[in-house]
Amino acid sequence: MRRRTVAKLGLSSLLLSATGLTLPAQAQDLRTITGGFDVGPGGMPGNFNPMTATAGFTWLSLYFEPLITYSAELDKFVGLLAKSFEMSADQTSYTFHLADAKWHDGKPFTADDVRFTFDLARNAASGSNFAARLSGITGVTAPDAHTAVVKLSAPNAGFLDTITKVMMLPAHAMAAIPVADVARNAWWSTAPIGTGPFKFNRYVNGQYVALVANPDYRLGAPKVDRVVNRYFENTAGAVAALRSGEIQFSYVESDDVPNFRADKNFRVIEGNSYVVNYLGFNQEVPLWKDVRVRRAVMHAIDRASIIKTIYGGAALPANCGYVAPAFVPAGLDPYAYDPAAARKLLEDAGWAKINGDKPITLITYYNTPQASNVMAAIQAMLAQVGINVVPRIVDVPTYNATVYAAKPDFNAFPLVYAGLQNGPDPSGINIGLNEKQIPPAGANIMRVRMPTVTSAFDAALAETDAGKRPARYQAVCKAMNEDLPWGTLWVTSRYGVVSNKLKDFTWVPAPAGGPYDAHPERWALAT
Amino acid sequence: MPPQVKYIIKRLLAGVAMLLGLSVLVFLLLRAAPGDPVDAYINPSAAMSPQDLAALRTRFGLDQPLPVQYLAWLRAAITGDLGYSLQGTGDAVLPLVLSHIGPTMLLMGAGITLAVVFGIAGGVLGAVRRNGAVDLLLSVLAFLGISSPAFLTALVGLYLFAVRLRLVPSGAMLTPGAPFALGDLLAHLVLPAVLLSIGHTALIMRYTRASMLEVLNADYVRTARAKGVREFSVVARHALRNALLPVVTLIGSTIGLAIGGAVFIESVFNWPGMGLLMVTAVRARDYPVIMGAALVIGAFVLLLNLLTDLAYAAVDPRIKVG
Repeated sequence: MRRRTVAKLGLSSLLLSATGLTLPAQAQDLRTITGGFDVGPGGMPGNFNPMTATAGFTWLSLYFEPLITYSAELDKFVGLLAKSFEMSADQTSYTFHLADAKWHDGKPFTADDVRFTFDLARNAASGSNFAARLSGITGVTAPDAHTAVVKLSAPNAGFLDTITKVMMLPAHAMAAIPVADVARNAWWSTAPIGTGPFKFNRYVNGQYVALVANPDYRLGAPKVDRVVNRYFENTAGAVAALRSGEIQFSYVESDDVPNFRADKNFRVIEGNSYVVNYLGFNQEVPLWKDVRVRRAVMHAIDRASIIKTIYGGAALPANCGYVAPAFVPAGLDPYAYDPAAARKLLEDAGWAKINGDKPITLITYYNTPQASNVMAAIQAMLAQVGINVVPRIVDVPTYNATVYAAKPDFNAFPLVYAGLQNGPDPSGINIGLNEKQIPPAGANIMRVRMPTVTSAFDAALAETDAGKRPARYQAVCKAMNEDLPWGTLWVTSRYGVVSNKLKDFTWVPAPAGGPYDAHPERWALAT
Repeated sequence: MPPQVKYIIKRLLAGVAMLLGLSVLVFLLLRAAPGDPVDAYINPSAAMSPQDLAALRTRFGLDQPLPVQYLAWLRAAITGDLGYSLQGTGDAVLPLVLSHIGPTMLLMGAGITLAVVFGIAGGVLGAVRRNGAVDLLLSVLAFLGISSPAFLTALVGLYLFAVRLRLVPSGAMLTPGAPFALGDLLAHLVLPAVLLSIGHTALIMRYTRASMLEVLNADYVRTARAKGVREFSVVARHALRNALLPVVTLIGSTIGLAIGGAVFIESVFNWPGMGLLMVTAVRARDYPVIMGAALVIGAFVLLLNLLTDLAYAAVDPRIKVG
């Protein structure tokens, strides 16, 4: 009797376990590269409008293309839809000589498309993020189908950097869309047309986007049939998919890197994050007015140990907003770890009267386990010299609501641990440090009012001679190192992991995901 | 008008009032939470000026007073327009929410079915083999299941079966880009469903075992055995039927718990259900999606409650509606 009962139960188990033996549908005839292209800080899953994108350009640039882009080393501009370009002597006119390219629907790409794109991108009504940055454009002309001229009201050292993210859009396909409807039009996620090596194929909400090869791509037909961008709720999910062989590429956190380095099936790509991490001293609270206090903070933190033990060596100490050698002058104060010197500086500044051991909130939006360890280390090190900080780790919206509030409560963020993009264009940190960028004009949320720093930035931004620009930013670096508007800490590395099945694959952990000269048409799968 | 119809109309009207209250509550809670959709949109490492942010708020209508915002939403919602997601492509909320209900129902249905089948079978087996090796093993497994938190079992299961053994995919509902295949769906479903069911299986197993032990000692069971009824019939027909009564009540409450569990499992396995939709929407402070999802879920629950009450009345003549 009992045997029959057990047999019935066993049959149920067998039926259920049989489903587990069904292998996933991997048998696909098409050569498909699947990756987590929007995983990590450079990604922006679900955003298909390049004009409203604040990241995600690694993926977008597979089917859209800008006129120029960064080289894969992020050290110079290279032509993409513009074969070449030149600048007038007064740096107010840029002439772009266009490549012989076609849109995905077969129509030719012309200077009219360039004019259409810039007009749309500088029109705030389109919802474009570029409206303010392209406001210096006075007009775009098209002397012939293959030449576009962009005129500026004044020289703008950041213009070329800005237009690397301005993806060219088809006038013939978009002209009928009212400007006010462009931002959220279904066109972006259903039938977008670009000039890139892949064509938009399908988007499944929250799951993936698929592109198919553009056989007519001017730089050669892609070597794979499809590229699929799979979405993940978190990096851990992407790492699991990478390890199980379901995807061939993803951004990974540095904690995962040692395991992948030890696995011969994968290749780890390491690169500069181009984000300088800093302790922001809120100048609206009385704690940090005395530079000796700010210097004490720098001396109290053993950055070398944090970099070694928490980041596994994958970060460079920053003694100003930059770590790129071209922008770092000799003779900077390295702010070596010296708790005794920190205590002395605090004593000289009268820290006991300024604050003493009262708790100071240290707020951050970095909420990974690694960032928690960094916060704990900073808390312990500052406590040793008598600065009592209490970490508060929040999500991005909470952080932004706190620091960007129209009427901020400065006591809610007396000290922040944050990061700001410092490259490839070094002017990126101006918005957070220049006195003229104090809200509502800009994002100088720490209300830094330091004349030396502001004048150094102003001089760098006004420099029209590219050869002299590094020296200008060295002056910025020096001013930051002396006045310490921020307690600059480090610039970390970021990582991508690629399966060895993926060949000729170019990926750079560029801020916002690029774009850069990735040549996706060359990406291939090992046979 | 028949009393049943009156009752249904009354309940439906009450349901509408409750949904209205729910929408006000969710609207106010969302506005009380720190940060809005624009705050979630900004990448702190690529700063934007407050002027640009103000322009974005104007575009999303977030600069309007709260009553104006709520009434605008309500006016549209009454016509069936729940607005558009503030993320990415700006999908219409209603189809977006509806498209996520199916996957959640599938995952929950599979998880609860597994829990019921294995839970009852294990409980019966444990009771029949009381204090034997099988019972001991099942008891240990049940205690492990009850005491293992979902985040641990989900991550361990993912690592073991998807990453190490590669028996099943690590996430999603279907292989991205591949044509639909039932085998593919089942392969993606089996691990999250099993992991979702573990805790519930253990609980049902313990309840069933306890209930069965009580019933197996009852006089009518002894009488059945004395009459020479086969052991299988004694267990399955005479004992199990009565032992299941408290278990059925437990299964009812399990469904509610499974919704909570599904939210976590969906996040770990990227399962495109309501849980994942809500988690993503909350993270992005996507007000229209959160409001729409809350409304649809609320309507669903109210409707289910009404149907349950009607079913009770249909099944049990002692209960009258109206």
